[in-house]
Amino acid sequence: MSTEVKQYVGLDIGTSRVVAARKSGEVETCKSQLNAFVKLPHAKMTEASLTRENVPFSVSDGHIVVYGNESAALADLLGREVRRPMTQGFLNSNEPESLAQMEEILSSVLTPGEDGDPAETRICFSVPAPPAGNQDSLTYHEATVRQVLEKLGYSDIRSINEGVAAVYSELAESNYTGIGVSCGGGLCNVALTYMSVPVMTFSVPKGGDFIDSSAATVTGELADRIRLVKEESFHFNGHYADKIQQALTVYYDDMIQTVVQGLGDALRGSRQVPKMGRKVPLVLSGGGALPDGFKTRFERALQSANLPLPVSEVRMASDPLCTTARGALVAALSE
Amino acid sequence: MARQAKSPGRIAGAAVNWQAHRIGDPVERLKFLRKTVGDRQPFSPVVIRNSGFWKNNRGKIALAGTLLLAWPAIQISQGVSVLLSAVPAVSAQSGEAETFPNVWLLESGTTAEVWSNGLRIERLFETANLPSRFEAYPLDPKRAPVEMSAPVGIVYHTTESHLAPLEENQRKRLKLIRETLLGFIRDNRSYHYVIDRFGRVWRVVRETDEANHAGHSIWADAKYGYLNLNRGFLGVSVETQTAGSGDETPATPAQVHALKILTEMLRSKYRIAAGNCVTHAQVSVNPSNKQVGYHYDWAAKFPYVEAGLPDNYTTPIPAIWLYGFTYDPSLVNVTGSRYWQGLLRAESRLREDATAHGARPEDYRKALSQRYGTLFERVKAKAEASAEVRAISTKESTE
Repeated sequence: MSTEVKQYVGLDIGTSRVVAARKSGEVETCKSQLNAFVKLPHAKMTEASLTRENVPFSVSDGHIVVYGNESAALADLLGREVRRPMTQGFLNSNEPESLAQMEEILSSVLTPGEDGDPAETRICFSVPAPPAGNQDSLTYHEATVRQVLEKLGYSDIRSINEGVAAVYSELAESNYTGIGVSCGGGLCNVALTYMSVPVMTFSVPKGGDFIDSSAATVTGELADRIRLVKEESFHFNGHYADKIQQALTVYYDDMIQTVVQGLGDALRGSRQVPKMGRKVPLVLSGGGALPDGFKTRFERALQSANLPLPVSEVRMASDPLCTTARGALVAALSE
Repeated sequence: MARQAKSPGRIAGAAVNWQAHRIGDPVERLKFLRKTVGDRQPFSPVVIRNSGFWKNNRGKIALAGTLLLAWPAIQISQGVSVLLSAVPAVSAQSGEAETFPNVWLLESGTTAEVWSNGLRIERLFETANLPSRFEAYPLDPKRAPVEMSAPVGIVYHTTESHLAPLEENQRKRLKLIRETLLGFIRDNRSYHYVIDRFGRVWRVVRETDEANHAGHSIWADAKYGYLNLNRGFLGVSVETQTAGSGDETPATPAQVHALKILTEMLRSKYRIAAGNCVTHAQVSVNPSNKQVGYHYDWAAKFPYVEAGLPDNYTTPIPAIWLYGFTYDPSLVNVTGSRYWQGLLRAESRLREDATAHGARPEDYRKALSQRYGTLFERVKAKAEASAEVRAISTKESTE
């Protein structure tokens, strides 16, 4: 009765991006889409232009919905804000179209032609660790994503914690023992694993969106403009070129401190942490870890935190934007 | 902590670590580790220490660790798997003997009953219906159904009826509404018990008889599956509305107390398992589209803990894992997230069961659904037969 699995896909379902990783022979590829959409009034001319430009969109209820990578550019062009199917790591309960658009965005990264028959594909998607006292949000989020994937034809569906995925992607050398930190748009996810087994996972609700909105508040700029500056030119160099750079530094530091403090608290508070007998590596991944100097800043914060579990080295993931999806792919392959 | 950390995992762990390093391919290495150390199981030295396992088996483990160092990878994998499987599973439910409250009848009269835990049952609206006889379906489909008559569970409802403000100047209106409601429930044989706004408990349909409270519904315990719970499950309804109650339970403190002592009495009298005391939303199904949650009273906010019960919202919904039902995601708008814990766990259980049977989840779900279809027809035929008997007996008594 069971179907042979012929394809494997790892899926990073993040607040800001959805990334699919797949392996063909020895080659691994990643395909990503912005996890956002913009809704425009329907006009034949707009529809024709979008079709001509190969921009992914759908038409419903007299509107054109442009989703994925092109939505940000289009929103910027039209002076609108993009809408987000997810917020703070989970499906956005205040967004009435979150499910429908999530399905569109997932479809666009899970191209059937590339993955073969979904029924013969094992897919593993990432889930965040719920912030303290908010287990319910994970329950609903995970169940709903699973159902969307089932609707797309997948039946062999697995899930993996985002921090654990970072470990699976980057820490094979240490036998999958170490700490994975994934700095995403909505949350920073942290996991400690011991020989592949998750020992402790948690998340802090400070990610890219927190930095953007906080910096926007103090500088009086739009959050989208802050995001652009952050992605295009921000780096930790100790010299503040302007007010935006200064604000970004402050809130990046806040995020790093919160993660490191959370890690210390979790390690001290957990009764499940085994004595490793040696120092463990820590890997940084996600879009939030991209600015130059982030690793150094994180190392400094770790040194002053005096963690109960010594860290041997802090390293950047080889491809931070693809780390979680790749880890999910490795998990799918190793089931 | 330091002593815990020197738990058995260190010896076997060192061996597994060493062996894993010999596997070059990262995926194969992860596969080996997940298979050997345990997939996604929280590493818990505390569990091992508390169980006394380490103390009793340290010699064997040390020997196994030594052997592991010398064996090839595949043998290590098997060896450690055996070791780990010997660790007793820790479960909140399994292995714990069910305890039942001890509540006894103090006084009984034509208008009321009083029980030892302070429960007073009003009998002014009490009525009879058809005797409750039902079949319980063993989880092993090869075993034959078992005929039963005593209640095995409780289903909690809300009346969703008109409510007047709980204020002194509304006394007459409150009383009128309650009596109208109780009269309606009696005429329709809707529930066995109603708890009014002030926490007074009214028996409507006798416990030995069926009441029309659950319609198409499914529940299961560790032994049996139950279909159409009008029979076999007692219907307890709270006079309230769930809409507009915010995050709080819509029951008044007096109603919550009444729920607790009524549940205690019924569990004591019929030895009803706590896990079989559930809300209508958890049992309600729609056989035509094979989805759960057709009715959603008490889909969230039922005060399980305050009523002296475990949080049964976390119980996997049997309609899904036992009979292959599905659910509509839009249901979350009206049900709230507590209900979803049971849905998610039911889906996980279905997938695990499918894997255990070597089937794809969708094929397995289809097979479960077919099983439900067969049982549904059987229950339907029995209900029609008893309706005929009822019609004949009514006709005879009229003549």
